[in-house]
Amino acid sequence: MESTERQQRILGETDAAAWVESGMTIAVGSPPPMALVRQLIRRGVSDLTVIDSGLSLDLLIAGGCVRKVVSYYAGGGFGVAVAPSFRRAVEQGEIEVWECEEGILATGLQAAAQALPFLPWRGGVGTSLPQVNPDLKLMTDPIGGETLIAVPPVKPDVTLLHAATADPYGNVQHIGGPGWLDLFLHRAADRTIVQVERIIANEDTRANPWATTIPSVDAVVRAPYGAHPYYSRGFYVQDQAHLQAYVSAANASARENRPDDLVHYLATYCRQPATHADYLERVGIKRLLSLYEY
Amino acid sequence: MSQDYTLQELMAVFIARDLRDGEVLRVGVAMPVVEAAVRLAHVMHGPNMELIFLGTRMNVAHLHSLPMPAFGWDRRVVRWAESYSDTGHRFDRVKDWHQHVFFIGGVQVDRFGNSNLIGVGPDYRRLRFRGPGPVGTATLTTHVGRYYIVLNSHTPRTLVERCDYVSAFGWGTGGADARRQLGLPGGGPKYCVTPLCVMDFAEGDKHMRLHALHPGVSQADVQAQTGFDLTTSQPVPTTPQPTPEELHVLRTRVDLAGLLRSTKGE
Repeated sequence: MESTERQQRILGETDAAAWVESGMTIAVGSPPPMALVRQLIRRGVSDLTVIDSGLSLDLLIAGGCVRKVVSYYAGGGFGVAVAPSFRRAVEQGEIEVWECEEGILATGLQAAAQALPFLPWRGGVGTSLPQVNPDLKLMTDPIGGETLIAVPPVKPDVTLLHAATADPYGNVQHIGGPGWLDLFLHRAADRTIVQVERIIANEDTRANPWATTIPSVDAVVRAPYGAHPYYSRGFYVQDQAHLQAYVSAANASARENRPDDLVHYLATYCRQPATHADYLERVGIKRLLSLYEY
Repeated sequence: MSQDYTLQELMAVFIARDLRDGEVLRVGVAMPVVEAAVRLAHVMHGPNMELIFLGTRMNVAHLHSLPMPAFGWDRRVVRWAESYSDTGHRFDRVKDWHQHVFFIGGVQVDRFGNSNLIGVGPDYRRLRFRGPGPVGTATLTTHVGRYYIVLNSHTPRTLVERCDYVSAFGWGTGGADARRQLGLPGGGPKYCVTPLCVMDFAEGDKHMRLHALHPGVSQADVQAQTGFDLTTSQPVPTTPQPTPEELHVLRTRVDLAGLLRSTKGE
């Protein structure tokens, strides 16, 4: 489309989530962009390969979206050592795991970003990782003859992130720095969508360009409280009671064959609310305002 | 003799005494004994220690009460940090990690200190128990100067002859040069600390052996709960008990919430 004006990159969460199609590889940042994650479940996307850890991964599995998991950690919390839906689905053989480790995953994402066929990494030499994940190849370093692991590119079609602010042209600024693997997930991906607490003016970006953590992402979604029930630094802490309720429901479904609470959770918080604002109404303003940081 | 401390406090004090001032201590999630141990060492004798937790690097020895995370992923700890790093930066400068100390758990740990966080069962495609995954343990244990295996249960299912899968290499199938042969620069596991005892690794073949028994625990008790042969020739000492000062500091400056006091020692 010809235009004489610079194109804004603000999208509604439903339009943005529609970028993700069944069968794609997606990556989910930290804190998880839960407004977008819930939209994927609502849309009934399936057969995804998901690069994620923790309970956002678990929710996507519970919501039926996942065929394959690329994860270095799927912990549960609240007395549950392993994310319940992840554990059940893997034990039942319903989903496949691309077994990796934090350093190995970062290396694979870096290889994708740099358009390399592989990058070497030492962590994992001597372990079972190359056996349980045949894509990880033991190699002999051609210079010094050392044994290393060749990690192939890990390349998301779409990366979904949450951040504090962005301007209409996709310049993202974090409060407290980007999470865990966010910059890797962005650099490796074909396209990145970032949901933010606030959209700021381009003048504000230019007033402090050093603060821009990710320039020029493909889409910006305004989602205040969008990481709920997780935290958003500078805005709110994570909602322990809500997360605990989810873990209990997922655990009852996975371990005790009592799926009612999980079915109810998915309906109430993921499938019925048409928009993020509808979700927030269900959580309730008193609960949201109780999650202040200090 | 009646005990006025819990097993978890005993474990934390043992670990704390083994940490030296100036060390960089890298702590993972959901390990309250370790979180308490590094903070206790920090205020007792480690004003130059650096604590790395959830990407935050802190020195908080000057605080009267040291922040403990309230839950596994309590990212509010960043408020005490002097710097924060994402994975890219945390996994940079591994060349310097020989000065760092790490702590690891495991679904299974075998007689040579290899750790398994992947899962249990002969068929990887249909695991009987799916674990949480390796987190960053393969990389950290490859490079750090030394690490501690810390378990909150000691049974024949957790301490096994051979891990079904190895996600962090300790001493492989044994031998003091096992790590050097693979080119792993780190120093390997030093101790395995459990609710029953402390174990170390024999100099020659690096198999796990008894180092100290917690008060009231016999060698036979430990052997009965261990999935491999723990024979040792010498009499095994008792794990040193916490001093009143250590317990006072632990309870009034570190573990104010009583995470380590929730179960009383035997």
